[in-house]
Amino acid sequence: MSGSQSSGSVDRTPVEGADVCVVGSGPAGAHVAHSLASEGHSVVVLEAGERFDMESRVDRMKAQIHPEHGVDEIWDMGGDRDAYTSSGELEIPLNKRRVKGIGGTSLHWGGVTPRFREKDFEMQTRHGVGVDWPISYSDLQPYYAEVEQEIGVKGPDDAPHQPPREADYPMDAMPLSFTDQLFAEAGDAIDVDVQSAPMAINDGTYDRNQCLGYGTCEHVCPSGAKYTAERHVDKAEREGATVIDRVPVQRLEHGPDGEAVTAAVYVTPDGTEHRQQADVFVAAAGAYETPRLLLLSDSEQYPDGLANSSGTVGRYFLDHPTGGVIGLLPEQETHQDEYGPVISSVIYQYYEGEALSERGAINMMLINVAGESPAEMAMRSSAIGDDLLAQIDGQYGNTIGVIMNVEMLPDADNRLTLDESTTDNHGNPVPEISLDAGDYALNAVETGQQVGQELVEEMGGNVLFQGGNLDLSPDEMIEDSKGGYHPMGGTRMGTDPETSVVDSNLKAHDLSNLYIASGGVFPTAGAANPTLTIMALARRCGEHIHDNEF
Amino acid sequence: MKLTRRDAIGALSAAGITALAGCESFGGDGTETESGDGTDTAGGGGGATMALAEVLYPSEAEVTEAYLDTYLYSRMVDEDAYRSELEAGIETLDSLAQEADGSPFADLSVDQRVNLIEDTDLRSGDSVPDGTDIQRVNYHLIDELLFAFYASPTGGELVGNTNPRGWPGGFGYVPNGGPQ
Repeated sequence: MSGSQSSGSVDRTPVEGADVCVVGSGPAGAHVAHSLASEGHSVVVLEAGERFDMESRVDRMKAQIHPEHGVDEIWDMGGDRDAYTSSGELEIPLNKRRVKGIGGTSLHWGGVTPRFREKDFEMQTRHGVGVDWPISYSDLQPYYAEVEQEIGVKGPDDAPHQPPREADYPMDAMPLSFTDQLFAEAGDAIDVDVQSAPMAINDGTYDRNQCLGYGTCEHVCPSGAKYTAERHVDKAEREGATVIDRVPVQRLEHGPDGEAVTAAVYVTPDGTEHRQQADVFVAAAGAYETPRLLLLSDSEQYPDGLANSSGTVGRYFLDHPTGGVIGLLPEQETHQDEYGPVISSVIYQYYEGEALSERGAINMMLINVAGESPAEMAMRSSAIGDDLLAQIDGQYGNTIGVIMNVEMLPDADNRLTLDESTTDNHGNPVPEISLDAGDYALNAVETGQQVGQELVEEMGGNVLFQGGNLDLSPDEMIEDSKGGYHPMGGTRMGTDPETSVVDSNLKAHDLSNLYIASGGVFPTAGAANPTLTIMALARRCGEHIHDNEF
Repeated sequence: MKLTRRDAIGALSAAGITALAGCESFGGDGTETESGDGTDTAGGGGGATMALAEVLYPSEAEVTEAYLDTYLYSRMVDEDAYRSELEAGIETLDSLAQEADGSPFADLSVDQRVNLIEDTDLRSGDSVPDGTDIQRVNYHLIDELLFAFYASPTGGELVGNTNPRGWPGGFGYVPNGGPQ
């Protein structure tokens, strides 16, 4: 078999006789690849980015803490390779929200892993907004359970405001942090339920390093305790899959009858172009790059792009608009940073209910890292010696915070297109994102921020900062409050080929052997962090391919 | 509060550096010394870095040679590139000190060192890994020393944080079990 690494050099030539070619090695690609390789299929994974070593992660962690470095620098994003255009109401700092490399954006995610709720699959039926998914919660439930076991999730078995569970979480719930306890006490007083967050962080139960408490889960975990899709890339390789890094796929080619994809055309670092052939193709390059790849794969037969007879590739793009409240508790030490994981508790009380006909679901995450760390303050300051210590002592120690993601509704005008005026390092037009979240999301942000403010005030504190990317201009926002964390839509699933790109099994309506595994297939956004659902859909997709394509 | 070799090893651990191969010491005058494993270490400049740390760190932190030698030497062992940055940074500090006060940085009084930092772009200027000479000092020497101190319990405890961000001090620590 070719395409495997050998000592001294890496063979990046195509794999002969491949059953399945997966484009992308993030959470979706990794789980599809592992699922299919485990069934004995010949799988090749093509990844645009590199294979990052573990040794460099402490330096990446230090770069995260260093105030001179942007989030995009942590995982080497940026430059012509990653050029993009953000042209809508909402500014999306794209390269601060994604990673290209083995493991994809799970390298820098926060590891929060809630399931979508039953209502998320039935928004039109239940609340008269958005659309229903072509599958239900119960269709996906077994795959949620499988993924939670595969990746290792700590979670509360009996907490309220969760969808039905078939079994306990694989690991015990996160203990409440110091500030979680402050929130819980305030919540008790005003009837707000604080509960442990489901988190993909190893406490020693799983066969990977346990959490060491660096406090930088997002955007880099030096210990390896936070789950990344590298684990399932590795497992796929051990099952015989071939994974080739640094080979951005330029386009997908189809045969003369236009019914099937025949090759993924990729370029190696030395500029050599190759064609990877396979029986089945899975586009799993994330919600930003997958629609772009389809649009770049236009042909005489498909002048509007591959799998785009509906004209919806790139449309109905979704994100989770953000909100946040940072409070100051003058009389209370808050011990930010000391807990380790950046998030350990959540408020899911405003995720469901009748209010969803008027506003989006709200996913509130209580953070253990509100404000800068002492080292960050020290490096940002110009002071030295005792003056510096006094300055840090004055700034650190009394902050508390909650951040939130809210639900926006699908809208055909929210879309990813190609910006023909700008090209990447291979001469391909870059992605252009145009997004306007709308009042449904804004109403949710306002509700969530009101709850956050009431909690801070119940603790005897003052609100220092309040806002998100819907109610503040980009200039007024801290970087973390800008959106783009959870891209979804753009290649949505549905039963009608006129209005969707893939069917309920994630197979393209237009082609007989092309699947899309990505948050891009979500018809609606919910408010839950989407990665667990992406992985569950990917495993379901892998099982379908095994059962039906061979 | 005395900053010991143990503190430095802790800070190194936080920085992911495990190569603590038998180091002994930099020459206090910045001259070449021999480490415990027989490797020549080209003048790490314990004198200059000590003089720098003394003014960067709060007065209650007593900086020891053992602390700096362990931290900086091990960074050099771990990463050749850091050795040259450290040497170049000390050269820059000495050059600035000569220009301002006619002596190497290590020989300046505390007041002279403070004045030098305040009168130049040291600290107040940008901190850039591959920038100008002073920007590199800010990044590779000053920020590195501040990270070692404030991203460890050594400095964190002074502001009430025993497990600051950047320090692998364990999972799920809740001081006193929570609010009283």
